[in-house]
Amino acid sequence: MRREDLAALTAACAKCGTCRTVCTLYPERKAEIAVARGKVVLVEAAASGLDGDAEALQEALSDCLLCGRCERACPNQVAVEEIVMKGRGDLAEELGIPAWKQVVFGKVMPSAGGKDAARAAAAASQKLFLRKVPTESGLHYRFPSAFGQSGRTVPALPGKSFLGSLPRGEAVRGEVLLFVGCVFDHVFPRVGRAAYETLRLSEKGIAVLRDAPCCGLPALVAGDRPSALRCVEENVRRLSEASPERIVFPCGSCLVMFRRNMLSLLPKEHPLYGDAVRVADRCEDYASFLLETGVLSRLPAPREGERPGRIGYHDPCHLSGTLGRGGEGREVLRRAVGDSFGEMKGADLCCGYGGTFNIRDYPTSAKIGQNKVSVAAEGGTAVIATACSGCILQMRDMAARTDPSLRVVHIAELVFQAFSSR
Amino acid sequence: MDNQALSALREVFGERLDTSREQCICYSYDATGKMFLPDAVAFPTSADEVRRTILLANERLFPVIPRGAGSGFSGGSVPVQGGLVLSMERMDRILSIDEENLVAVVEPGVVTETLKEEARKRGLFYPPDPASLKFCTIGGNIAECSGGMCAVKYGVTRDYVLGLEAVLGTGELVRTGVVTVKGVVGYDLTRMLVGSEGTLGIVTKAVLKLIPHPETIATILAFFRSNHDGSKAVVGIIGERITPCALELMDRTAIDCVRENAGLPVPAEAGCALLIEVDGPKESVSAEAERVEQACRRYGAIEVGRAADAEGRERLWTLRRSISPALRQVNPVKINEDIVVPRSRLPEMLAFLADLASRQNLRIVNFGHAGDGNVHVNVMISGTDEDERRRADEAVAEVFRKTVALGGTISGEHGIGISKAPFLEMEVGPLGVSVMKRLKTCFDPNGILNPGKIFVEEGMARR
Repeated sequence: MRREDLAALTAACAKCGTCRTVCTLYPERKAEIAVARGKVVLVEAAASGLDGDAEALQEALSDCLLCGRCERACPNQVAVEEIVMKGRGDLAEELGIPAWKQVVFGKVMPSAGGKDAARAAAAASQKLFLRKVPTESGLHYRFPSAFGQSGRTVPALPGKSFLGSLPRGEAVRGEVLLFVGCVFDHVFPRVGRAAYETLRLSEKGIAVLRDAPCCGLPALVAGDRPSALRCVEENVRRLSEASPERIVFPCGSCLVMFRRNMLSLLPKEHPLYGDAVRVADRCEDYASFLLETGVLSRLPAPREGERPGRIGYHDPCHLSGTLGRGGEGREVLRRAVGDSFGEMKGADLCCGYGGTFNIRDYPTSAKIGQNKVSVAAEGGTAVIATACSGCILQMRDMAARTDPSLRVVHIAELVFQAFSSR
Repeated sequence: MDNQALSALREVFGERLDTSREQCICYSYDATGKMFLPDAVAFPTSADEVRRTILLANERLFPVIPRGAGSGFSGGSVPVQGGLVLSMERMDRILSIDEENLVAVVEPGVVTETLKEEARKRGLFYPPDPASLKFCTIGGNIAECSGGMCAVKYGVTRDYVLGLEAVLGTGELVRTGVVTVKGVVGYDLTRMLVGSEGTLGIVTKAVLKLIPHPETIATILAFFRSNHDGSKAVVGIIGERITPCALELMDRTAIDCVRENAGLPVPAEAGCALLIEVDGPKESVSAEAERVEQACRRYGAIEVGRAADAEGRERLWTLRRSISPALRQVNPVKINEDIVVPRSRLPEMLAFLADLASRQNLRIVNFGHAGDGNVHVNVMISGTDEDERRRADEAVAEVFRKTVALGGTISGEHGIGISKAPFLEMEVGPLGVSVMKRLKTCFDPNGILNPGKIFVEEGMARR
């Protein structure tokens, strides 16, 4: 562990225990090791040389959704997310990164070709091997229970990515750059499309990065700092070159990577640090940008909803919590669907995805997610709209498992629909 | 702890026993920040598991340390001599809330706020409200006899415990007290266990008294020029024959911490603030609030504000709530004491504290539940300066001596634990200590339970 760095961060913890009240994972684990205070003390102990078992420590630090609730509740503003991510990164350096992660984060994610090839291979094999589950939000496939995934479903992968379907020569230059993100490009291209088409209505020039690398967040939270850094460097270089006035993100997790985590990953003396700060300053979430452009005022008054309040908004932890952008997505919905939008029960409950957490402990992730969507459904919500790729992946899986009639969408899809239907 | 002990415990707890370094580290501390590693942690889910654990501990002579949420301020749940931490957090069921008899039966791991909320839903009130109520547990509250803001009117945890089920240091499961409003059958073992800091028994079930929830509440914030005016007003309000349900004082040192970011304007000349709440039926609350305001003005308040809705109350409370988090900006290490003096001696105590800080050249921040004469004396030190540490220790000893001289007590609600053990005798005298030790022997002859607490030399059980 890099002692000085971490010691400075952990010293702020007064060990009061406030984090126990808000931790998403604590009710599942009922043990101090799950909460921020436990993790902070573990890192502090390791940093001060009270050596334990590095693998057990890695296990403890991995057992966190990085939902950030503890950090926001903390009276001393302890940087829990940074401590956990730094700890994971240091331990990965010490213990090595598993081969499959090296391939995914190091080879597939940073390159557009890699992501295309991976999607094609996965699309072919899911058709061959998995069972179909039709849902309101599109076809899903169910994993056989033998895989230890207890009922996991995955969305049917498309033949073409969103960016792959854009004609050559389109969206090459523009003062606004749409950062689509891997999931909305390769897994749910309809979201990428909806975001793109609705941004175009702003009458600004909209550009995309055709072969953008991943934002780097999945690698970073998995402790693979070198791969994350590679994604960041490549993105900063490309975005500085393109030099758009604004960079717009349909995905809250990509956005938090650019606005916050990127700058703690790049050392200040890194040659790209200055560029990264400038890039970060121009990054904006989809809803805020849309509201600012005034596009939505061109929508005719929304028709009477089918049932008032049937569409709800889910707060992505990173977007609503970390970045404080919870109101904007709701405002966009109010304008796009009118009365059909209503505050959803449990809107700010974490979906339980947590990136790699969903892979390392699917049963717990699913339990948290299932609770999330059933609280919403019991409250009368039929459509959950949100603005983060991880949340959508997770909640669509949860809907496919228990209630395929529950629709999970990105707010851009509803905006696009409102413009197309009126 | 030897292997035989551990394998016997394994039979009781299975996977709910953990000896890994990581788990042990997570049960080595509380809010004092002091750290002592246990040898193992177990998570009981029944009284019987607790009972079997203590029987084993008597056989193999290892310490057992019960723990709630680890939010204590005196080291009560820290395993100073190693041994087994029994984390009660999984025994967290509310077993019943009896609306006819106004009694709740709960397991020790229930979070205090959870019980308060469940009671509230039924129009009932469980008053104890320690600052950590969102995460601390009923078991921990009982062990430390926690207080809180509303103690001035409603009393402390002790006043709401009707009966207990507990495993004594001998491994016997005892039921004490009653499930009725009154009862005088023999010695009051319930009160014996409340506040005993886990040294006499481990609570496995508690019978708690509930009362009707007050109809409404009003909050008043008053600023004064000096501690002298503010603390005189405290006495004056009580003299009005009003019992507020909160009467919090923040002295100049505390206000200075948050002057800039209190969330509301603080008058420049303010040197003391009182936050006062009155509750009860609507009519009487507004009349009482009026009288409180008048009393404040009579004692020289320079500004008085009142709020009756939730939002306004919350705004007034931000001043008080922002103090604790802001303390770190004064200095990183907090030595946190919670002395109590008779209310009428508050002016004298606050004057003494101001003088002490300047004499010893220390930053001392004072605030607290002035309505019960309870002052949280926070000596803020850098933690890196040896001489400052020595002066702080001296100052704390002086504070305790002054407290006792004024007829007060050295701990209102945090307990003795390890941090105040050296001062126990100062308050209760040698005979007091001796009687307590004799009682300890009755409940826990082998010194199994939470050794090293309350008394300076304790702990016959060693690793």
